[in-house]
Amino acid sequence: MGRLSLAWRVLTNGELAQQLADLVSAAAPVITEQPVAAKPEPAPVVRNDAVTLLASLQREARLVDFLMEPIDEYSDAQIGAAVRDIHRDSRTVLDRLFAISPVVDQSEGSAVEISDGVAGGRLRMIGETESGRTSGTLAHHGWQAGRCELPTWNGSTQAVGVIAPAEIDAG
Amino acid sequence: MPAKYAIGIDLGTTNSVLAFASLDSEIPQVELLPIPQLVAPQTVERRDSLPSFLYVARRGEVESHEFDLPWAENCEFAVGEVARSQSSENPDRTVGTAKSWLCHSRVDRHQPILPWKAPDNVPQVSPVTASQRYLEHLVASWTQAFPDEPIAQQQVVLTVPASFDASARELTREAALAAGLPDSLVLLEEPQAATYAWLSSSGDDWRKSLAAGDRLLVCDVGGGTTDLTLVAAGEEDGELQLRRQAVGNHLLVGGDNMDLALAYHVSELFREKGTDLDPWQSVSLWHSCRAAKETLLAADGPETQTISVAGRGSRLIGGSVSVEVNREDVARLLVDGFFTKCDVSEQPSRQRVSGFQEIGLPYEADTAITRHLASFLQRQTDEESADSSAPTHLLFNGGVFKSDRLQQALLDRLADWYGDAAPQILAGDHDLDYAVGRGAAFYAWTSQRGGIRIRGGTPRSYYVGIETAGLAIPGAPRPMSALCVVPHGMEEGTEADVPSEEIGLVVGESARFRIFSSSSRADDVPGDKLKRWSADELVETDSMEATLNADVDAGDEYVPVRFQSRITELGIFELSCVHTASGESWKLEFSVRDDAEV
Repeated sequence: MGRLSLAWRVLTNGELAQQLADLVSAAAPVITEQPVAAKPEPAPVVRNDAVTLLASLQREARLVDFLMEPIDEYSDAQIGAAVRDIHRDSRTVLDRLFAISPVVDQSEGSAVEISDGVAGGRLRMIGETESGRTSGTLAHHGWQAGRCELPTWNGSTQAVGVIAPAEIDAG
Repeated sequence: MPAKYAIGIDLGTTNSVLAFASLDSEIPQVELLPIPQLVAPQTVERRDSLPSFLYVARRGEVESHEFDLPWAENCEFAVGEVARSQSSENPDRTVGTAKSWLCHSRVDRHQPILPWKAPDNVPQVSPVTASQRYLEHLVASWTQAFPDEPIAQQQVVLTVPASFDASARELTREAALAAGLPDSLVLLEEPQAATYAWLSSSGDDWRKSLAAGDRLLVCDVGGGTTDLTLVAAGEEDGELQLRRQAVGNHLLVGGDNMDLALAYHVSELFREKGTDLDPWQSVSLWHSCRAAKETLLAADGPETQTISVAGRGSRLIGGSVSVEVNREDVARLLVDGFFTKCDVSEQPSRQRVSGFQEIGLPYEADTAITRHLASFLQRQTDEESADSSAPTHLLFNGGVFKSDRLQQALLDRLADWYGDAAPQILAGDHDLDYAVGRGAAFYAWTSQRGGIRIRGGTPRSYYVGIETAGLAIPGAPRPMSALCVVPHGMEEGTEADVPSEEIGLVVGESARFRIFSSSSRADDVPGDKLKRWSADELVETDSMEATLNADVDAGDEYVPVRFQSRITELGIFELSCVHTASGESWKLEFSVRDDAEV
């Protein structure tokens, strides 16, 4: 990664590029080897994307705080008041990362054409299918992700499972 | 190598956007570039916009690579979403409004002054450098997406507020070139860019919406600023043409002020219930208020909405407090405060609110956008026929206008002023968040492939301050007159010799001139000399200076010169002193004002 990251820095840092160009043009091949002899990069720490998703939902919507809190002691009104923001912010995260939309874009209760069988997992039949029947009633329109654009994480081994770091008030 | 892409960059006060279109396609297909950015330490996500915030990292954070990017290591600062989220908890380490500082000529914009009044252990950056950092991030994002199409070889348009004067534009350009944007960079005014976005989405149908004689008012209320522009449609050689007629002054009032006002109102409601919010909760409240504003003020918004502020610790429901907010109260607060009912002849009040001054920027004393609008429209009225100057159409831009009630409030005021002649909303698609970036990309595309152009030349006239000769009075400054060097509407690619008496400059010394601009004096021509003017007519900007090298063969220590002004093809204002005898000339460069505060 050393050479690649240097290349990135050259691309984005005019001054460094100039220094490198000076090095390359001014002197012997021995010097041009120097930038390549950077220290070997440690293998990147891999984190499961599910943790990254939980971190996004916690950071932007405090969803983990909400789900981990015992709620028996609170009234419905108290919970309802808190949920509005969590709902709004979680929804924003899901829309942005997954572009969630119905599988069947029709209102529930309307008639749906059934083509061959159950369309490779996109539809699921409820009850017995009579042979020769070509339509059914939409009970649930289903959900699908239009994309999956999770953040990429690039932290250390100690932080691999951290959904939200502990916060310390210095004041 | 010819450019393959047309790129439009909206360097916004609170959010920046990069839009692009392939120059190979027959019609411009403008897309937004997803911008990889840190959304939390060590977490990179692609977003459609880059919040224009810069966070100065703590020492340990640099060593543990908290703010490294795919293209940069050991970063000592971060820009984008992560920096914006730090602005609540670490305000002393966060730069928020670099762009507003760019046009604040009372400070030296090259000095490291941001974060404003930061403690000694926080390294500061200059407003120009902060802007450069945002642009560098956009450039790096482009390079990641298109490694074989260097941005320096593309057709790039960068937007600036119409109200930016020549020196603020020059500083923007400087930051852009330092960030790696090409020399051929064109600066486009934001309200014009919004108009281009509309033209782009309307295709050829725009000619059905506007007719010769129509006047389009572009009302762009961004997060931190309000930018007003008037565009006139006219007929030239049988073709419908657009011409930008006037731009407003730089107004530091926008959507953020409204969200803050609402947050203040709601925090009072909390206080009545015995809850004092801590700073963290106040910011969280600010975000909730922004969302509540959009919900409550939508066309079919609910009567009331509960606003809750969650507890600081992990106990979310247990620590949360909530109040009911009433739609009519919110509407009254924002409409009365920002879209105030007023007469078209009213002027904004000048009384300063002391609290704002501490922040360093000259925020507007009067937050009534409608009064600023009235005063802008009044300036465009010719004495004989007040009616003819009423705008016929209106184009909204900026996230504030996602609230239907606020659009309606502005329309109501215009109806108060003009009755049946009030402007109507321009038909067509309106993308309030991304129109400026998209319009800039469309403009870049048309500059290569051809298409409708809004003409207009310089939005302001420019003046050089000349001390008048005469007996000096001890202790009193010499009286000064202002010599017009650039008229309003001077076209790109033209120059003007300024007729005047000869001005004597000292050889070998730096000659420095005070520079003024005006967005209201449309009739002055080069050579006109003003003896007196009102404070809001002429606004002082940065000084300009040049050093006359000693090889002038005049033999005297004084060289008699006159001024020559030029607007380049790229819209850059240049001013030179020309030696009357030899024709030799010296270009003046912008420098810091003598009375700068920092």
